[in-house]
Amino acid sequence: MMSQRADEISDEQCMTRLTGPEVEAAISALYDRYSRTVYGVGLKILGDHSSAEELVQDVFLKVWRSSSTFDSSRGGFSTWLYRVTRSCALDLYRKRASRIHQVLDGDPYIAATRDSSAGPQEEVDESWLSWRVSRALEMLDPPHREVIELAYFEGLSQREISVRTGMPLGTVKTRTASAFKKLRGELANQDTSQEAIR
Amino acid sequence: MRCAEIHPNLAAFVLDGLEPEEAVEVLRHLASCPRCQDEVRELQKVNRALEAAPPPADPPSHLKDGILAQVRTAAEPSSSNEEEREGSASLRERQRSLEAPRSDRSKNLRIILPSAAAAAIVAMLALGVLFGVLREEPPVATVQLVPSPQEEAGLEGYWGVAEIRPQPSGNLQVKLKLNNFEDPKPNSYYELWFVSGEKRISAGSFTSVGEGETRVLLNVPPEARNYHTLLITEERIESDPTLTQEIALKGEVP
Repeated sequence: MMSQRADEISDEQCMTRLTGPEVEAAISALYDRYSRTVYGVGLKILGDHSSAEELVQDVFLKVWRSSSTFDSSRGGFSTWLYRVTRSCALDLYRKRASRIHQVLDGDPYIAATRDSSAGPQEEVDESWLSWRVSRALEMLDPPHREVIELAYFEGLSQREISVRTGMPLGTVKTRTASAFKKLRGELANQDTSQEAIR
Repeated sequence: MRCAEIHPNLAAFVLDGLEPEEAVEVLRHLASCPRCQDEVRELQKVNRALEAAPPPADPPSHLKDGILAQVRTAAEPSSSNEEEREGSASLRERQRSLEAPRSDRSKNLRIILPSAAAAAIVAMLALGVLFGVLREEPPVATVQLVPSPQEEAGLEGYWGVAEIRPQPSGNLQVKLKLNNFEDPKPNSYYELWFVSGEKRISAGSFTSVGEGETRVLLNVPPEARNYHTLLITEERIESDPTLTQEIALKGEVP
């Protein structure tokens, strides 16, 4: 019997393959689906590319090593992966804070500025919303995601997007409207409760 | 304007992406259309949610390669000997043991072991795990380093290898073992390069002890995985290291 390709199967099926001979294909498929979200949320929480890269690596190695702790009857893969990401991010945050503390203790200017920043828990609380919105964006097909990224993140007008992409202006508008409708649907479908991530 | 004409512009309107005259048309319509006002309120919720979105960014491609290399290394049995094969195959088990919730592990032990023997066996298991973790993983590639012709005459009894291992960071660790590799000339040092065509990546510099074995640990970034030629060149201090310097040793990654 021909086995299904890893990129055609669900996240939950990929998780069951992490203990078998198809482990590499399974972890590769999960990485392709989620690495942008983990990386983006890492940038939001940790604030720099180097730490976000470390987070991506820690998270996917933990997914592989801890696959037996995933229980699909308790929630979807995305929510479980968020919990793994949050835990790894907090570890990195604390590790980094302790490094900064050791090096910079006694510097009055740094001590004053350090105290004004949000703590790891506050950053992490906000990260659940970041995660959900990022997942909703990732669920859009690339043409729809492109118009949202250009309009929202780059601040381009509809006319400027048309010029940048070569798409007719009418298509840009239709695609933007359609992307918003899909985003609304994705966000409404997600489990938004705080209990889901405990 | 009718709702059907305004509707395609509403998402762009909340994104502030319309031309001024189009925005005025929408505002004029909204003033008299409760249905479109409701629609704009819904779209504004989506727009506000986007404020929480992380900036769109792709992680660097070498990250995935590094993760997959680690998975591959742990999943594939080594071919060198039976002991290493067992070590490799049991790596996942060791990892699972370390990652498993503490309560699960202790519960299993309580079921299986009589209390008198438990402490001794637990200690042995702990030592086994400790040595298992500390034991070096087998290299993913071993490269024979061969002297270049002009060096050959002066390197009697010489042999050299480079063992390459992926690291958790994605970097590649290179362990050089060089036997009877003569020390560099005064004001010179050796440099290890990963080379592919005209491109090269330096793995770092070192010196040697001459007679006897020189062992050096160096690291290269993950991109070096695609550079299949290893060169050791002799470089002069206070000059830019380039590949035009004297090549002492060369090897090809199998």
